[in-house]
Amino acid sequence: MAAVRTSGERTTNRLAIVLVLIITMIFLAPIYWIASTAFKPRNLATTIPPTVIFTPEISPFVKLFTKRSQLRAAPTPEEYEAAPWWERLVFDGGEKVVRSGRGEVQLSGYPSRFMNSLIVAITSTVLAVGMGTFTAYGFSRFKVKGEQDLLFFILSTRMLPPVVVAIPMFLMYRAVGLNDTHLGLIILYTAFNLSFAVWLMKGFIDEIPKEYEEAALVDGYTRMQAFFKIVIPEAATGIAATAVFCFITAWNEYAFALIMTNRRAQTAPPFIPSQVGSGLPDWTVIASGTLLFLLPVAIFTFLLRNHLLRGMSFGAIRK
Amino acid sequence: MAQIDIQNVQKFFGHLQVLKNLNLTIADGEFVVMLGQSGGGKTTALRAIAGLESVTSGKILINGTEVQDRKAADRDIAFVFQSFSLYPHMTVRENIAFPLRAVRMKATERDKAVNEVAGILQIAEHLNRKPSALSGGDMQRVAIARALVRRPQALLMDEPLGVLDAKLREQMRAEIKRLHIARGSTSVYVTHDQIEAMSLADRIVILHDGVLQQVGAPDEIYLHPTNLFVAKFVGSPVMNINGVRIDGNGVTLSGADASFSFPDDALASVRGTAADLTLGVRPEAVLLQHQQTEGYIEVQTTNIEPLGSHDIVDIGLGEAVLRARTESGFISGEGQRVWARLDPAQAHFFDTATGLNLRGAN
Repeated sequence: MAAVRTSGERTTNRLAIVLVLIITMIFLAPIYWIASTAFKPRNLATTIPPTVIFTPEISPFVKLFTKRSQLRAAPTPEEYEAAPWWERLVFDGGEKVVRSGRGEVQLSGYPSRFMNSLIVAITSTVLAVGMGTFTAYGFSRFKVKGEQDLLFFILSTRMLPPVVVAIPMFLMYRAVGLNDTHLGLIILYTAFNLSFAVWLMKGFIDEIPKEYEEAALVDGYTRMQAFFKIVIPEAATGIAATAVFCFITAWNEYAFALIMTNRRAQTAPPFIPSQVGSGLPDWTVIASGTLLFLLPVAIFTFLLRNHLLRGMSFGAIRK
Repeated sequence: MAQIDIQNVQKFFGHLQVLKNLNLTIADGEFVVMLGQSGGGKTTALRAIAGLESVTSGKILINGTEVQDRKAADRDIAFVFQSFSLYPHMTVRENIAFPLRAVRMKATERDKAVNEVAGILQIAEHLNRKPSALSGGDMQRVAIARALVRRPQALLMDEPLGVLDAKLREQMRAEIKRLHIARGSTSVYVTHDQIEAMSLADRIVILHDGVLQQVGAPDEIYLHPTNLFVAKFVGSPVMNINGVRIDGNGVTLSGADASFSFPDDALASVRGTAADLTLGVRPEAVLLQHQQTEGYIEVQTTNIEPLGSHDIVDIGLGEAVLRARTESGFISGEGQRVWARLDPAQAHFFDTATGLNLRGAN
């Protein structure tokens, strides 16, 4: 549209753009910090004032994906003989010696933790959004006995801070052998996200006029077919939004992941800070791990951006 | 095409009864309009025929087969919604083809059927657009095309012109009529607009408070309303409704200071009734003269609405007011002295308590 703009409007417009730029910079500052640290040599990571200009390197990523340990071995007889009497006592206990100058490089725990995060977050998102959509449809379209109470009950599962039930959950999980399993975390995150998904999806499905389904019903379709052919495509925006929220929640979850998992099914959030360790932390490695961790959510949201931005229903119902 | 029978149908929403013992037969190829105020039960009746609403009791037959317990999909009925209800994520072509996909028609036949119906409704150039890109009239055409493409047993329409503006409504009304004449499909059409009903219907069905008031051809409904509701509901401007007293051959409107004289045969049906009477006369049955004339009584004009093709003149006789329809410019102003008479042939006497027309369906 070729709207005529006055100079006043143009000034306001420019001011708005400047304001948006400033706000964007404030929001993006932490991201920039992480991204720049992830490519810094270790000695520049903690300088005061911060180093802004540096030659980026990818050694933090190499360090992130690998772990290096010094090779150890049982002492040779000569070494044993040479050791003082109290050191021999230690060797007798099975302690090994360090072969100085020789190390070994192995794959670090990060790739598997990252995979665990993907498996758990994607599966629980699919389950929560899928079940949530069906449930919301039921609540939206049918007379459900005690509907309000049930919906309140579903919502009430979100009223308690989840950490409150962490210890009982841990004990129960240990009793049934679900601790440190993917399934355990998937169930947990699905249950946690489901209430949210039901409420969000109910809002979206309520917005879809039921005449669409009725039209499909008289056009010769069953209710299930109408649901998949009409309701799901119409609710795509809502499904995308709900999926993004569920995915972010599951992806970022820290407390339960920390308590419920330690190795096999551990996700990235509890793993990354564990790399801080004792002594002097290598912030460049932590930053690179965090940067990679940010990517899936960013990619996922980016892929769904059209659905997130698109209007709900675009004018084919005349009211 | 099919005959539809509605037998003793009752419908409750909780404790609220919206259809009370409805009986109606819609003949094959007939265009029936259900007319009534909102909340009168007409849409519920239509949705019950379509299978979108269950009935509490009674039977619905399509071509002699009981369908009241069948799903909507199994009734072979098409429905046009007031909101058009075009699927926004599909193109016009996909929308029209949607009912054909349900029956898994071959793609080539499907395309042929879609193109044919699109041609009839003059929407062929819009086939690849999304519904949101169409005008209201074209959306309506697409909705009708989607309903007709399957060649259903009957076409049900729920206020299909309700959201269109006045000019378009008139145009689409003519198109629907033309289409009905061309295809001869059994059609049931719900509206609260009496002009639509009058112009489209073979027969009009008037529903009020879930009760069928009258079924008949448009002129029959207009000329011989069976009760006060129909008399008041049909016709614009509305029929004059006044309480009356009858003495001999004199008919006195309540509040009036003079009485109209009626011939004997016009009063035959109301002689001897003890009931309170209400007189209904349409404005065109109130006849005015400038000079004193035999059988006319003197009245005063109180208001004039010039409507171009004719005028509506309010006349006062004592406390009573009647509205008369005159040729335009017949009365030049308010406060004039004129002479009035009622056409006995077009006068309806109703029992005030029951609302029934005492002349019956003569």
